[in-house]
Amino acid sequence: MTDWLGMAVPPRTPRPELKGRVLARALARRRWPLALAAALVVVAAGVGSAWWAHRTIAALEAERARLAIRVAALEDTVASFIHDPATRLTQVPVSTGGRVGSVTIFADSVRRRWLVRCDGLAPNARDQAYQLWFLTDRGVRPAAVMAMDRDQPMVMGLALPQSGERVTGAAMTIEPRAGSASPSGPMVFHVDL
Amino acid sequence: MRRLKARDEHALQELYDTLAPWVLGLAYRILRDEAEAEEVVGDVFVKVWRQIHKHDSRRGPLVPWVLSITRNRALDELRRRGRWWRKADRLAQAQGSEEELEHPATHEATVPGWPLHREVHAALATLPDELRRVVTLAYFEGLSHSQIARRLRQPLGTVKTRLRAAHRKLTEQLAHLEDWLE
Repeated sequence: MTDWLGMAVPPRTPRPELKGRVLARALARRRWPLALAAALVVVAAGVGSAWWAHRTIAALEAERARLAIRVAALEDTVASFIHDPATRLTQVPVSTGGRVGSVTIFADSVRRRWLVRCDGLAPNARDQAYQLWFLTDRGVRPAAVMAMDRDQPMVMGLALPQSGERVTGAAMTIEPRAGSASPSGPMVFHVDL
Repeated sequence: MRRLKARDEHALQELYDTLAPWVLGLAYRILRDEAEAEEVVGDVFVKVWRQIHKHDSRRGPLVPWVLSITRNRALDELRRRGRWWRKADRLAQAQGSEEELEHPATHEATVPGWPLHREVHAALATLPDELRRVVTLAYFEGLSHSQIARRLRQPLGTVKTRLRAAHRKLTEQLAHLEDWLE
């Protein structure tokens, strides 16, 4: 009953311009969510693109830095090891896991460092690794532990022992994955330099 | 109604043409301010357009629903702006409520819904003064029972009794009303 009481008040003619204003408000509000949704999609796409671009740029920069280091190492290899008259090259054929490979040692006696490249080595068992040894006039010294999980060449630079020992050769054995203090596993190669 | 629920914009225009004079009249009656009343008209039609799906025709006709939205919105505006007492005083001084209910503007008689207005107006006019006064204060000014009692300096129980009596009489007289809208 009281819902009808509003009709007890006399009508009041609205100004003509009010109609346009009211209808524009009503219909604009109806479309507003669509506009908002469209805007959100655009913003989301923009944010997504920016995030993707940021990730891509970061990944490319990391890759560029990695490649720059590798190029520098190769330049160093070419300039210091291969062309240096003080460098001695030794290549040792090896047989691991039924396959034939090689270990190449560029020995720089002036700067007392080695560049060692391993090709064709069989991947290690999960709990094992290749370990390289310096053979010196005072005994065997660990040089590097190389866990090979994939069948691909490996290159590394090694500094010779600084204790004044004279390195007379190199050896490689298969050791536990963490490495050993002295050779205990199967011998891969042994060479006098 | 079906066209409104089907989001027919022409139906909204037609609804405005039909109901805007009544919505503006009610809003103005409550607010006594043309600009505020026009704002309420805008809010009402926006709300009707957006919430037409909430209106259940089995629970009541459309016009009272729109008027109810108008009244609530206008009373909210009255309270929100902190002008309740100032407006009420102005209303009391002008005695506008009584005058307008007793002397409707006949130049608006061509507005759709006019016959219904005459019936509601007549029903209200037939109420004894003491009943009409409490109904007017409750409906058009949004006063609570206790506020009406303070305003009229009457016991709360008397106000409640009069409101119940007015409600009963108006229900009897207006029970046959139907929307003039399709």
